[in-house]
Amino acid sequence: MDVISHFRQESRTYAALGFVAICVIVLPVVIDSIWVKVLTSAVIFTLAAYGISLLYSQLGLVNLSQVALIGVGGWIMLRLNYAVQLPFELNLLVSAVITAFIGMILALPAMRMKGLYLALITLMVAGGFQIIFSAIQFPNGGAGFLGVALQSPGEMRRPLIAESDTAYLRYSIIVVVLGVMLAAAHNRGRPGRAWAMIRKSEANAMAAGVNVTLYKLWCFTLSGFLAGVSGGLLAGALKILDAKSFPAGESILLFALSIVGGVGHWMGAVIAGFLYRVVPAIFNNIGIDADLSLVIFGAALLHAIMTAPNGIAGQLSSLFQSLGRQNK
Amino acid sequence: MFMRNMGLALILAMGLISYSQGVMAAEPECGANTGQKATGDPIVVGGINGNAPPGDFSGGTDAAAAYFLCVNDNGGINGRPIKYIVENDQWNPELAAQVATKLVKDDGVVALVGNGSVVSMAVNAKLYKDEDVMAMASACAISDCYENSNIVSTNQGPLPSGIGALKFAVEELGTEHAACIGFNIPNNGGWACDWAGKYMESVGKKSTALLMDPSAVDLNSVYLQALAEGVDTIMLMLPAGPALGILKVAEEQDGGDTFKWISPTPLYDPTVPEALGDYWNNKLYVNIELGPFNSDGPDNQNWIAVMDKYGEDGDRRDTFSQSGYLSAKFFVDTLLKMDPAEINRTNVTKAIKGISGLTSDLLCGPYYVGDFDRHMPNHAGRMVVYADNEFKVVRDCYDIESSYLDSIRQQERQLKLIQ
Repeated sequence: MDVISHFRQESRTYAALGFVAICVIVLPVVIDSIWVKVLTSAVIFTLAAYGISLLYSQLGLVNLSQVALIGVGGWIMLRLNYAVQLPFELNLLVSAVITAFIGMILALPAMRMKGLYLALITLMVAGGFQIIFSAIQFPNGGAGFLGVALQSPGEMRRPLIAESDTAYLRYSIIVVVLGVMLAAAHNRGRPGRAWAMIRKSEANAMAAGVNVTLYKLWCFTLSGFLAGVSGGLLAGALKILDAKSFPAGESILLFALSIVGGVGHWMGAVIAGFLYRVVPAIFNNIGIDADLSLVIFGAALLHAIMTAPNGIAGQLSSLFQSLGRQNK
Repeated sequence: MFMRNMGLALILAMGLISYSQGVMAAEPECGANTGQKATGDPIVVGGINGNAPPGDFSGGTDAAAAYFLCVNDNGGINGRPIKYIVENDQWNPELAAQVATKLVKDDGVVALVGNGSVVSMAVNAKLYKDEDVMAMASACAISDCYENSNIVSTNQGPLPSGIGALKFAVEELGTEHAACIGFNIPNNGGWACDWAGKYMESVGKKSTALLMDPSAVDLNSVYLQALAEGVDTIMLMLPAGPALGILKVAEEQDGGDTFKWISPTPLYDPTVPEALGDYWNNKLYVNIELGPFNSDGPDNQNWIAVMDKYGEDGDRRDTFSQSGYLSAKFFVDTLLKMDPAEINRTNVTKAIKGISGLTSDLLCGPYYVGDFDRHMPNHAGRMVVYADNEFKVVRDCYDIESSYLDSIRQQERQLKLIQ
């Protein structure tokens, strides 16, 4: 039995490595420039979707402010870019850490809430950030704390090794893989065990000596960190960000697509990122109104809720397992 | 009897002649005007517009598309037709970057013509420079359109047009304190209202910027803000849709005479009079960046003829449409001087940067590009007032005074366009 499970684990690892290798090496070479841009966005939002997935799958918590936190990460990244001449990676790390801290602060009052009430609170937070972004705008190289000048934006630097769009796509994939690995390491370690106990029963977890508030905050913070990384990468990809790009409604959409993709599995986040950015781009490219994708997403969400609780990733996983059994 | 028949025949002949002249006057003239369809290897040209709430900036690409169709029916560029690919960025920076990359890198356009967008130029200015491709824009509304080496716009944008409206208001309407209502976009409303404020300061008057969130436009509250600020003039630094919305709010509260109402060019649109009604007679003054729609000038008449014959039903026919027509015409005139076999991006960029001293009845000054780090060839306009269901010119071509134009005037001196 141990041999079989070890074999399955190894197969999954090889499948993941193969998927990443194809994405990093082959994809940027064979696709047109527009799809390099689209895939870069999709990859970046994959990491944010993984943050949503982490909270929902580990603790059953609904976070409807993830896109707002991406905006926070992007805002800090742009501000650092214009304020200091530090390497991109350092700016990205600082942006992610500050975003994680902000995510943690926002999660504190929400700790007593669950289900619909928590979802509503996080949605209100997203709405609050939407207003703040509109009021303060995104830095564009101006002076002062806000860094907004009434002029054309300055230059947003990219990593020295990833200045072209193709290289930046590869860079983003690697950063996202590192982010997913960081979250996976948490899952396998002490926090993951604590989250599992909390998910089963908060009372039992407390009785077993688990600090429920700490570990819930930990999960929120980690999710915020991933959103911060996404925001920083997005700032590097687009080189400017604008207040209209982070409305509260987008957080709901990203959450819904995370459910459709499948929470608790990295492939689910990849599918969510793909649906979120690639499907509308395909519609646009063939001259169909991209808003039609919302209808498809709605139908997909219904399908996921009614027949596929593990999302498309869960269905694919089951399909591969049954194929594997048939081949034995 | 013979004389009577002769007289009738003469009248009929004169009628036919005048009818045929009328028909001929409505026939557009485009490019080489050969009347032969172009069948050679297509020249790929791109265009990006922003058509989504809160504004439609598709007039420039609509007119450019119509003009290029006309050119293709009239010999093309020395036999080569223009393949014009238009994309809509939907006011979305991510999408703006994607469609520009598609046009410039995947489709390999030799230039972009007729562009009109509030987000695209900010996102893509560096791409155009890096890829050495020129954008001859037509409906620009942000600073990036006027502060980059590879973008030149035929329309003025909100800065000169807004200052032009303020100049008229100060000189003719007695404005002392103006509110500049715009979108809270740093390189759009913020930029234009900031320079409008500097102009007002330079003439010893006051200005207050009232900037709205473009994704949550609250027209009532911004109108009340203007009331609270105690301004005597309201300048609507907005696309036509939201600007009309504020005028409706003002009409409901009978604010037509409470303020003097001025606007840069977006409100100069043939559909606007229908929406305004008699209430606004002689109350709304608009600065227009190009010529009046009813002008007899040859370019204005040709624009109408091109749009009538080659435009689509839903095409806008506003100032930006005139601008798109003119950008496309200047582009085609430039390409016609080139060897058709040598038309590639590098040569087209060089040829566009060589444009200097072109004129049109739609413009108040010469059109030029030059090899400069910023471009703003059009900065003089006219003023119209809304009256009796139409716009009437109340001041013909006049330029503005602003230190923003210092480097532009230096360029014009360098090209010997001014003394």
